[in-house]
Amino acid sequence: MSLMRKKQRVSGEIPTSSMADIAFLLLIFFLVTTVFDEERGLPIVLPEAESEQEVSQKNILHLLIQPDGTIRVKRGESPQEQVVTASAISSIWRQEFAQNENLIAAVKTHPNAPYRAMIDVLDQLQTAQADKISLQLLPEG
Amino acid sequence: MMSKGGFKRKSKAASEIPSSSLADMAFLLLIFFMVSTTFRKEQDRDVAFPDAEATKKMDDARKDVLHVFVERDGQVFINDQNVPMERVNAVVGPIYAGNPKLLVVLRADTEVPYQYIDAVQKELQEANAVRVTFYTNLEQRITRERR
Repeated sequence: MSLMRKKQRVSGEIPTSSMADIAFLLLIFFLVTTVFDEERGLPIVLPEAESEQEVSQKNILHLLIQPDGTIRVKRGESPQEQVVTASAISSIWRQEFAQNENLIAAVKTHPNAPYRAMIDVLDQLQTAQADKISLQLLPEG
Repeated sequence: MMSKGGFKRKSKAASEIPSSSLADMAFLLLIFFMVSTTFRKEQDRDVAFPDAEATKKMDDARKDVLHVFVERDGQVFINDQNVPMERVNAVVGPIYAGNPKLLVVLRADTEVPYQYIDAVQKELQEANAVRVTFYTNLEQRITRERR
């Protein structure tokens, strides 16, 4: 009888001494499991609507992205087109930019070309620190 | 002799950390973090992002960021809602008007035809939201060379 009474008195109290441990465990659990999802990507500032500027052809490096993802480079006024790989674009940009500081990269993508192809080109241009980039749609035909 | 005993008693009291308030402190911290945590409003969509070496981290506050998802078939989703292409301007316009620091993060699938991306860009230009980021995963140089 006396044994029963003793047991009941013990379980009737909440052990406050371990409360801190419980709270800290919860705190650490949430600290560890929290994932911050960061924003990352290729930033670009689009031109404002209806603010098109006329640029002399000799200051433009045309990068024409075909529907199959191949890239053609056309320099300024010359009608000559050259097929290049995406990874070569950063060195081409650096070469051309060294000769002409007003150079603008015109990325013209075919409507049916995959988005990935455009990102590859933009990636290469941003790797080469190009800041004047124009994104356009390649006229079909 | 008297003063010495007095000093001893004082230092004895200060050398103990009051463990009875430890629980309160921990719970306060816990509640602070629970309250200050903001969860993403929208669900992730089934979109595969392209890789890019030049990927930069953006440190804009979450409230200044608007996600625009473009799925493989060209469907646009803003705040978990399917928005027809010609309505993007009407949806983004008021958001930009309420927050001129708005950064639009374009989360588009690698395989989406470029015409949809171009159409979204034109809509964003009309809404004046010109700060755009193409969401990409960071590509290590080694994986590129191997490809």
